[in-house]
Amino acid sequence: MLKEKLQKFFKIDRRWIFLLLAIILFIPIVKPIGLPNKTISKDTQNAYNFLDKLPAGSFVLFSLDYDPSTRPELHPQAVAMLRHAFSKNLRVGVVTYLAGATGLIGQIFEKIPAEYDKVNGRDYVIFPYMANAVAVMTQMSSDLYGIYDKDQDGKDTRTLPVMQGIKTYKDMALVVNITGTSMLDYWVAYVGDKYKMPVIGGVTAISQPGYGPYLQTGQLKGLLGGMKGAAEYESLIKTPGKGTSGIDALNLAHLLVLILILTSNIILLVIRYL
Amino acid sequence: MSETWMIIGGWVAAGLTIFLFSFLYKDNPFFKVAEHLYLGAGMGWWFQVYTYNILGPKVWTPLMAHDWMVLIPSILGISLVTQFIPKISWMSRYGFTFLMGYGSGLAIPASLSTDFLNQIGGTISPFASLHTMSGFSIFNSLLVAAGVVCVLFYFFFSLEHKGSVKKISNVGIYFLMVYFGAAFGNTVMARFSLLYGRFDDLYSFSSQHYFYASQIILACMAAYFLLHGLLGKKKDEGEEAAH
Repeated sequence: MLKEKLQKFFKIDRRWIFLLLAIILFIPIVKPIGLPNKTISKDTQNAYNFLDKLPAGSFVLFSLDYDPSTRPELHPQAVAMLRHAFSKNLRVGVVTYLAGATGLIGQIFEKIPAEYDKVNGRDYVIFPYMANAVAVMTQMSSDLYGIYDKDQDGKDTRTLPVMQGIKTYKDMALVVNITGTSMLDYWVAYVGDKYKMPVIGGVTAISQPGYGPYLQTGQLKGLLGGMKGAAEYESLIKTPGKGTSGIDALNLAHLLVLILILTSNIILLVIRYL
Repeated sequence: MSETWMIIGGWVAAGLTIFLFSFLYKDNPFFKVAEHLYLGAGMGWWFQVYTYNILGPKVWTPLMAHDWMVLIPSILGISLVTQFIPKISWMSRYGFTFLMGYGSGLAIPASLSTDFLNQIGGTISPFASLHTMSGFSIFNSLLVAAGVVCVLFYFFFSLEHKGSVKKISNVGIYFLMVYFGAAFGNTVMARFSLLYGRFDDLYSFSSQHYFYASQIILACMAAYFLLHGLLGKKKDEGEEAAH
C-alpha cells in the first residue's frame, strides 16, 4: 500500500516541478532575501588582484563577446569589471567580435562611465564590431590602426587622447575577455601565449570547468564563472549589482534541486527495501 | 529610443518570453508564432549584420575608393556559393582551398603550443619546484599528473585494456566522472541563471511604467488555456454522444 503511494511520486506531472521552480526563482526577485555569498573563488580573487595592481593610466582591452542569450550571466561580470577599471583610472578599449553584443555594450556605456566621470574618447574608446576575430587579433599585434582606424562613432582613433601611445599589444597592460563563445580560447592561443599578453576571462558557468587547465598553467591570470563569478567580483569591488541579487535565486533553486534529488533517492531506497 | 518604443519593446519582450515558456505547459499557437518569429528575426538580424558591417565597409566602400585588391577575397568568397550550382561547383574549391590553408596555418601552431606543449609543461613543471611547495600544492600537482596519465590510458586503444592497463584506465574513468559532474553542476547553475534573467526582465515589465505587460499577457495566456481546455472537453463529450 505504502509502496504504491510512494511510487506515485515518480509519476508526478513534471509541470508541477516547473511551477515550483518558477515560484522559487520569482520570490527573491520580488522580495530579495539577502542570503550571504561568503565564498570568493581563487580565480575571481586573482582576476581582481591583477586588475587592481595595474598602475593608473594603463590600457586595458575589453573584448565583450556575449549576446542576449548569455546576458544574465555575463552582463553583470562586464559591468563589475568595467566599474573596477574606471575606479582605478585605467584607460579602457572595447572590442567585440559578436554582432549581438553591440547593443549590450551600448547599454553599459550609457550609464557606467558617467558614474566615474569618464568621457568617451578621453578615458575609453569603443571600437566597431569586426568579423573574423582571429584575423583581427593577429592584425592588432602589428598595428591596431590597420584594422581599427575609426571608433564606433566614426572618429579617427589615432587622434583620440585615450589611444595615445597605443599601437600594439605591447602597449597594453591586459586583455579581459567576457564571452559565451569560444573566443577566450582564441585570446589565449593567438594573443596571450603568442605575445605574452596577460588575459583574464569571464565565461558562462557551463564553460568554466573547461578553463581549469589554462588557469593551472598561468595562461589565464584569472577567471569569472557565471553569475556566481559576477557576484564575487561585485562583492570584491563592494558594489552589489545583478550578480549579487541573482545569488538568492540561484541558492534557492539549487536547494530545490538538492531536495528533489534527495527525496527521490530516499523514496527509491524505501521502495526497494520495503 | 523614445519612451513609447521602450514600452512597446517591453510588451513584445514580455509577450515573446511568456509565449515561449508556455510550451512547458503544452504546445499552442502562441508558442509557434514566437518560434517562427525568432527564426525569421534571427535571419533578418544576421542579414543586416553582414550587409552593414562586412559587405558595406569591407567590400563596397573600398571598391568605391578604387581599391581593387578587395576583389580577390571577394571573388574567393563568392566562389563558395557556386557549390549550389552543379555545373560550376568546381570553382568553390578555390575558396575552400584558401580557407583550409589559412585556417590550418593559423590554428595548428597555436593549438600545438597552447593546448599541447603548454599543458604538458604545466603538468610537469611543478615537479621541478617541489621543495618550495606546500603539502597541499604537492598533493594537487601529483593528483593532476596522475589524472592526466590515467585519462590518457583510458583513451589509448592500441593496448588491450586488461590487467594493470585496465586498472589505470578505470581510475581515468573516475577522473572523467568528476569532470562531468562538475560540468553538469555548472550547467544547472548556468540554466538557472538564464531563467532568472528572463524572470527578472518579466518582473521589470510587470511595472506600472510598462502598463503591467507581464501580468496582462500572462492572464490572457491563462484564459486561452482555460477556454481551450473547456471547449476541448465539450467537443470530446459531443463526439462521445454522437457515437
